[in-house]
Order: sequence, then C-alpha cells, then structure tokens
Amino acid sequence: MSLYLRLISVSIRSQMQYRFSFVVDTLGSAFATLLEFLTLAAVFSRFGSIGGWTLGEVAFLYGLVEIGFATMDIVFSGFDPGYFSQQIRRGTFDQFLLRPVSLVLQMFSSEFILRRVGRIAQGAAVFAISLALAHIAWTPGKLLYLPIVLVSVVAFFGGLFVIGATSCFWTVESLEVINVFTYGGSAMLAYPMHIYGDWLRRFFTFVVPGALLIYYPALYFLDKPDPIGLPRFVSFLAPLAGFGVLAVAFAFWQVGVRKYTSTGT
Amino acid sequence: MQTYLALARLAFQRQFAYRAANLAGLATNAFFGALRAYVLIALFNAQGAERVAGYSIRDAVTYTGLTQALIAYIALWGWWDMIRSIRTGEVASDLSRPVDYFGYWCAQDVGRAAAHMLWRGLPMMALYALFYRIALPPTVLHWLALIPALALALWVSFGWRFLVSLAAFWTHDAVGIGRAAWTLTVFLSGFLMPLAFLPPWMKAVMSLTPFPAMVNTPIEVYLGLMDGSALLGALAVQAFWVIVLYALAQTVLAAGVRKLVIQGG
Repeated sequence: MSLYLRLISVSIRSQMQYRFSFVVDTLGSAFATLLEFLTLAAVFSRFGSIGGWTLGEVAFLYGLVEIGFATMDIVFSGFDPGYFSQQIRRGTFDQFLLRPVSLVLQMFSSEFILRRVGRIAQGAAVFAISLALAHIAWTPGKLLYLPIVLVSVVAFFGGLFVIGATSCFWTVESLEVINVFTYGGSAMLAYPMHIYGDWLRRFFTFVVPGALLIYYPALYFLDKPDPIGLPRFVSFLAPLAGFGVLAVAFAFWQVGVRKYTSTGT
Repeated sequence: MQTYLALARLAFQRQFAYRAANLAGLATNAFFGALRAYVLIALFNAQGAERVAGYSIRDAVTYTGLTQALIAYIALWGWWDMIRSIRTGEVASDLSRPVDYFGYWCAQDVGRAAAHMLWRGLPMMALYALFYRIALPPTVLHWLALIPALALALWVSFGWRFLVSLAAFWTHDAVGIGRAAWTLTVFLSGFLMPLAFLPPWMKAVMSLTPFPAMVNTPIEVYLGLMDGSALLGALAVQAFWVIVLYALAQTVLAAGVRKLVIQGG
C-alpha cells in the first residue's frame, strides 16, 4: 500500500511539474459536467419535472454518478481501456510482467490522471445543489449508507474499466462497446430509470447492474417508491453489485493475463 | 483549386481505412441518441403540451438524432490533427508547401467531413428513421436550404477549430486550451438542448457567438422552424461567421508564423 502511495505521489508530482499546463488542463476538462447540468436546469423551468422527479432529485442521481465515476476515472486510470490498449500496442505492458512487484499494483499506479479531479469537483457541486433543492430526510442509516454507495459506484465502474482493459489482451484496440457501458451507462444513470424503455432498464438493472448502484439507493435516500415495484431491499444491494462486478472483472483479468503470458509474445 | 480537390479526396478516402472505428462510433452515437430521446420524451410528457417553443415531440426526438449525426461531421468532440502537426514539427514542411496553410487544412477537413457524413451522419438518421417516427424537412425549399446550412456549419466549425489550433504556435499547452474550447463549443452550440428551450436571455447571449451556427442553425433549418426571411437571415449569420473566423484565422496565423520562424529558424 505504501508503495502504491509513493508511486502515485511520483505521478502527481510529475503532472504538477508543468503547473500552468496542469491548471489549464484541469479547468479545460472541468466545466463539461457542470455546463451539461446547467443546461438541464435551464430547460427545466419549461417542463417542470422529468418522470415525476424534480430538478433537485435528478441532481442527486447526477451528482452521485459524477462523483463516483470521476473518482473511478482517476483511481483506475491505469485500467482505462484507451490507455491500456496503447500499453499493449507499444509493448510497455510487458515490462510490468518482468518486475518483482504485483501486477495489479503496477496497473493501479501506472496512471493517476489528476486533471480528472475537476470532474469530481463538478459532481460534488451538482450533489450540493441537490442537497439544497431536494428536501432529504437524513437519518443515521442514510448517512452511513451514502459513503458505502459511493465506494460501490467506484468499484462498479472500475470493474467495467478492468473488463474493457482485459479485452485488449484479445483485440489490442479497446472495444468501443465498453464505452457504451462506462460513459453511456453513467450518462443514463444520471436520470431516473423509469423514463427508459423496458429492455434498457432491465439490462442495466440485472445484467450490468448500474441501477442497483444509483437509482435504487436514491429511492431510499429520497424516500421515493419504485414505480416498477421491486422490493425495498433492492436499494441496499449497491455494495454487492459494485464489488460483485469488480470481482468478476478481476477474475476475467486473471484469465486475460494468463492467456497473454502463455502465448509467448 | 485542383490541389484542394486532391487534398479533400485523399482525406475522404483516408476515412475508409477507419470504417471499423466509424461503425463502432456509430453504435455509441446511436446509444446516446436513444438516451437523449428518452430524456426529452419524459420532459415533454411532464409538460403535457403538444408543442414547446415550436418543437413537437417528434421534432425533439429528431433533434437528438440530428445532433448525434452532426458530431462526427463537425468534429464536435475535438479536432487534434493540426495541433499534433505543430507539436511534432510537421508544420514546418506544411508551411513551406505552395498551398495556403488555411486552405490546406480546410480542404482536408471538407474531405473528412464528407466521409463522416457518409459513414456516421446519414446512417445515424437511417437508424433513427427505423426506430422512431422522425420529422423531415417540410418543403423542397427546406431540403435545398439544408445544403448551404450544412456547408456553412462545417466552415464555421472549421474556422473555429483552426483558430483554436493556432494556439499551438505559442504554447505547449494547446491540448488543454483545445479541451476547454471544445467544451465551450458543445455547450454554446445547441447540442445539449435545443436553444429554443433555453430562457430567452440565455439564447440571446449564445447567439452572439459563432457556435449556434454550427449545430442549432442547420437543425432548425431541417425541422422547418424558419421560413422565408428568417431562414435567409440564419444562413446569412452563418456566412458572417465563416468570413469573420476566416479573417481572424489568417491574421493570427500570420503572427504565429512570424513567431515560429523567429524561434526555430
């Protein structure tokens, strides 16, 4: 763990070397989420609600997804399929296999793209707006569950990243379809699930269980009933879904590494 | 002129090599289109009125398809070719060619855009026509007006992208500046939501910039939301921005070239 932290701090320090560059880069990426949410807020006055949810309630989903995804984006930078496919293509991944350090540790510390921190800040801002607008009846249970949900969200999307990276062992170029699950999934989960068609909703509830991490916990926090009628306990499946996906992802990763090392590149 | 046609044709053909990536990108575009359509449908259902700011639900759904179709055509998510060529030093040979530097890149962009319209834009609308009842331009005049609207939209977009890329003549951080510029473009162009849905003051401020001319204008021409003099006025505004951005680009380019020559010899 201390090795990981030391490697990360090296990466951070090297990114901060070009301070102006870092600031410009961070600010450049910084506003996309916020502007998107502001646009939604701007048109909301014409429409009033979406699927019966108010702006503050949508902001809860939005903020939760953004904070979780953005945190994952930094922590799992090494597994970002886009970057990882480059590593495979250039052969730099092979160096990891030669070193006497855990492969997974090297993967986690190989990238730590700090500029993506701008997105966490935006997510937090939207979440703060939600807290201001939606009148959430906070209980000790909810306060305890919230950080659990956040960590689970990071695990969930991290798992998708790992699956995407693992696919590179077979295809070298990262599969575009993973972007549909990661970026598409996070875009979708920012809105209440019942506005989507049945097939889409069921897929992202039971197959790629994103809804179990954002929408169903949100029903609990916002004290809203489920229009689809699933039982109450579904709201508490977030850690199971998140870490379940991550576990499956790393099992798949092991298969991929074994395949890669056995074919004698 | 021959040279420009040749450059355009080569850029067009080059896209054929990326047909797998384009197909994958098309799938992702389609997914996001479907998500945005669901969101707009839900917003309309909440409102209950048949038309909002002149848009029917069918117009709004068609709008999501059109915006997704335009992404590749005007390189809305970002264009890095020129910045890369300046960073690698290729710009030195590019500038010494017997072709105007702006024209050199513009011709290639037209070729690329034509290919993207063929591989991404039209298939997107075909997919939409399959799954949704989409709106079509109401009269022959509107169909015809679409040609200058789309051509001018591309040139406005190119003028802006060229101008932004010129930052690379002065700074190593052109990528960060680019990222900020493309984020701004997406937000102000009417890509996220129809500008007509925004509060009038917001729309008025955005209309002072060239960005609506890239996305909002051709879409409103397609949907037949403007007639007669309003339609001509919109096309004139697009032409205005093409000229202004061209003049700015050439001026800044001249300054940039002088700096480059003085620095590197």
